[in-house]
Amino acid sequence: MKQTSVLLADDHTLIRAGLRMVVDAQPDLTVVGEASDGREAVAMAGKLKPDVVVMDIGMPSLNGIEASRQIRAALPDTQVVMLSMHSDEGYVLRALKAGAKAYLLKDSAEADLARAIRAATAGKSFFSPAVGQVLLQDYMRRLQRTGGEDSYELLTPREREILQLVAEGKSSKEIANLLNLSVYTVETHRAKLMQKLNLRSVPEVILYAVRKGIIS
Amino acid sequence: MATLSMSTDTGALREPTPPSSKLRWLFLWVSVLLLALLLVSRVLAVRFLSEMHTQELAATRALAERTRALSGLCLSMQSYDQAVQQFVAQTAADRDAEARRRLDQLTLEIDADFERYPIVRDSEEDALLNGMRGVFSQQRTFYITILAARPAERKRQAESMLAGHVVPIQKQILDWSGKLQVWNIERLQQADRGLVTQFANLQGSLSRVLAIGFGSGLLLVLGGMAYIVRLDRQTRARYVELARSRHALQQLSARLVDAQESERRAISRELHDEVGQALGALLVDIGRLSTTLSGDHPEVKAQLDNLKSVAERTFQTVRNIALLLRPSMLDDLGLAAALEWQGREVSRRSEIEVSVESESVPESLPDEYKIYIYRLVQEALNNAVRHSGARNAKVVVERLARSIVVRVTDDGRGFDPGRSRGMGILGMEERVKRLGGTLRVESQPGKGAIVTADLPIPAGGDA
Repeated sequence: MKQTSVLLADDHTLIRAGLRMVVDAQPDLTVVGEASDGREAVAMAGKLKPDVVVMDIGMPSLNGIEASRQIRAALPDTQVVMLSMHSDEGYVLRALKAGAKAYLLKDSAEADLARAIRAATAGKSFFSPAVGQVLLQDYMRRLQRTGGEDSYELLTPREREILQLVAEGKSSKEIANLLNLSVYTVETHRAKLMQKLNLRSVPEVILYAVRKGIIS
Repeated sequence: MATLSMSTDTGALREPTPPSSKLRWLFLWVSVLLLALLLVSRVLAVRFLSEMHTQELAATRALAERTRALSGLCLSMQSYDQAVQQFVAQTAADRDAEARRRLDQLTLEIDADFERYPIVRDSEEDALLNGMRGVFSQQRTFYITILAARPAERKRQAESMLAGHVVPIQKQILDWSGKLQVWNIERLQQADRGLVTQFANLQGSLSRVLAIGFGSGLLLVLGGMAYIVRLDRQTRARYVELARSRHALQQLSARLVDAQESERRAISRELHDEVGQALGALLVDIGRLSTTLSGDHPEVKAQLDNLKSVAERTFQTVRNIALLLRPSMLDDLGLAAALEWQGREVSRRSEIEVSVESESVPESLPDEYKIYIYRLVQEALNNAVRHSGARNAKVVVERLARSIVVRVTDDGRGFDPGRSRGMGILGMEERVKRLGGTLRVESQPGKGAIVTADLPIPAGGDA
């Protein structure tokens, strides 16, 4: 079995120790290093080239978001699982924009960490269930108050299909292969659905999908 | 330390005694008295002068009267003398009776002249007048004897009689009249001297009054000046004191705001780092324990689940308190993200839907700016939630050429900014002032509210 190498980055020793035990308990995961702040995480990732970095958002000297951006820019094959105390969409969206694949709340980190790491390695998104709930609640409340329509209803079945695949992290080419369509057609559908939903980037598409419960 | 110097200053600040009104009344009364004195002395002097003028006129008139009476008297006596001489010189007996009547008439005239002479109750004048009268009656007695004689005899004796008696008597009469005249002139001079003395007296008392008036006026002016100078100095001292204490107060409140912020930050960090992380570690351990035990001991697992949910709740509470004290996204994600988060938070827990536009905010703002702008928006939104009953609120943070504008608008019921200025607005003002900016609160009942803060671009901020 191929071992997945994991780098842990958290400024708290207690948390790191807990996380390490969780990861090491899994036969297919190995902790290759521990960093106590963002700068150290970037440096160690560059040296160890791990498959996954588990990163806390709030860290001194360089925070997790900025560290993720630097790691993702330098090492495209290394995925980031973000750990956070906050389920707010500001955090989630910024984590996604910084290149994180998974977003875990610290209070449920233990239960979902292994799954999140595995999803990230496979290039898929993963979010703590609570995150999806909060995002959905916010969205529903806004719709209710502003009297707006749920634009999801405006999508065609094909567009919904493509929305889910985009949110799962697949490229247009992969989607084209999967659905037996031309890349051009997929791009057109993709542009159309993003316009209908008023989304401007892939992270926003992912966020939307999480919010709607399309992916988790 | 300003706080220390303030506490020593409090002695000077203690209940400033208002300047006593007694002194004011004293000044007023003295001034009134002084003016009254000058007025009275002027009236008296004028009356006195006119009296003196009357006296002088009276004296002159009296002299003229007496001179006229005296010359009339002398004239009458001379006429009498001439009549007697004529009578003596003529011999015709038939004309005796006529001459006698004439003489009697003249005698009556002279008596009348004497009676008419203005007599003052003055013994000297009386004596002179009586002397003259005496000489005249002596003359008459003598003439009467002559008249009694027959005409021939009269004519014979006339020469010697005239030389022996009439001339000396006439001379005597002239003497008396001269004495009277001299006495009259003396009297005039006496009156003049009296007037001069009176005038000198008047002059003296007038200059005394003037001296007193001038002296007390001078005193009044000096006293007034001294009082004004004292008041002036007091006012200046008080002004300086006021300015200093206002400055100290401003510094104090600025420091309070700073202190509050750093306190909050410290407590929040402590909560987050210590309590939060310990709870997080605990949760991880409980989770692992519960996985390890799964299936073997269902009752232990139930207890562990219970433990876990308690720890989770505590974890969330601690996180919320920490966030309230210091929004960690301000440090993690920057101002724009923190403001958006706040907007969503307010939307979540209140009836207001908040929209946030803060894309143009430079993330390189100094920490002080970030936290103050954040607190400003927080306070404005809190006010809107608590008092306005608004449905929508909008937060706009814009970077302009020379300033950063923070504007919070709501569509609530509004208020009168002139009247209700709560602690919230005071706190906002304090923070805005701390950054050297201005705060404007615009609202009208029924028209919502706009809170606008205009902040200068910080020196270290990016251009």
